[in-house]
Amino acid sequence: MNEVSPAARDVILAFADDEQLMGQQHTEWIGVAPFLEEDLAFASIGQDELGHAALLYEALVGSDDADIDALAFYREPTNWRSCALTETTLPEWSDTLVRHWLYDAAEELRWQLFADSSLPVLADISVRALSEERFHRRHGDALLDVLLSVDDARNRVMASLRAVLPLAMTLFDGAPGETEAVAEGVVSAPLSAVQAPWQARVDERFGSVDWATVAAPAATQRTERHADFAPMLARMLEVLDLDRTVTW
Amino acid sequence: MATFEIFLKKDGRDEFRHVGALDAANDELAVVSARECYVRRGEGDLLWVVRRDHILHPDRDFTAPNADKPHRHHSGEAVAARRKALRAANE
Repeated sequence: MNEVSPAARDVILAFADDEQLMGQQHTEWIGVAPFLEEDLAFASIGQDELGHAALLYEALVGSDDADIDALAFYREPTNWRSCALTETTLPEWSDTLVRHWLYDAAEELRWQLFADSSLPVLADISVRALSEERFHRRHGDALLDVLLSVDDARNRVMASLRAVLPLAMTLFDGAPGETEAVAEGVVSAPLSAVQAPWQARVDERFGSVDWATVAAPAATQRTERHADFAPMLARMLEVLDLDRTVTW
Repeated sequence: MATFEIFLKKDGRDEFRHVGALDAANDELAVVSARECYVRRGEGDLLWVVRRDHILHPDRDFTAPNADKPHRHHSGEAVAARRKALRAANE
């Protein structure tokens, strides 16, 4: 699918890489999530995110699995376009739950930027993804509705919110090709345009946040990787690297 | 927490079938969990989520005090065999 410009590729990768890493992070909770039902639900949501990533990678390279693997797993770290929020490993469940909510609140807004894309395949993927995101958000809200109503749980969730919010700001850092991709009509607006409506959602969910105190890491246009990225990629490659030539 | 029983119905004329149970803190979480625990692969397209303590279960003595009631069974096989024999004779 060679009609994808380098700028379009950049914004597609930014989304695909976030989706892949978020899916990977979620699925690493399988077997250790706080209760069985949540274990299954959370891993399933992770699989949905991996599915979105696969569709976006496919939009770049076609449906050949070998090519998708090369793109999804064997790029140099500097060529990834993920953000620190999805690259960071969060060992605490409350941090992970808050990240799930924050990420999906933004992800839904992000898919809307692709709804009228000049690349029809992206518009199609966004319809499918948005139908799944409605459920992801309902899941996050259902858990938080219960947790925020109990003092002890509420304190832990709010502490996690304070810890994760600075990381979450990296979501709105656009890839280098973003301005050009907006001009081409691949996306309707830069990621920074999603930040204000996302903040309104956060305020509504958790109560008003003092945004002036949320210190976002320096913007890198998604060209630098968080320290947790390399070990995570190694975990992702653990099985694939047993034999790179095997047909699954 | 409460226990919920989950029933699924596939498209068409299939009836709802019991597929399992789960624990949840409230009705909304039960519905959300049921979808991810039991319908992840499109096993059905209609879902019943029923609180276990809402199920009426009369005791066994009431339901089946004695199974020995041959007069309640119709001998359909004997009649069917006779009808079949008659049809064969008429052909």
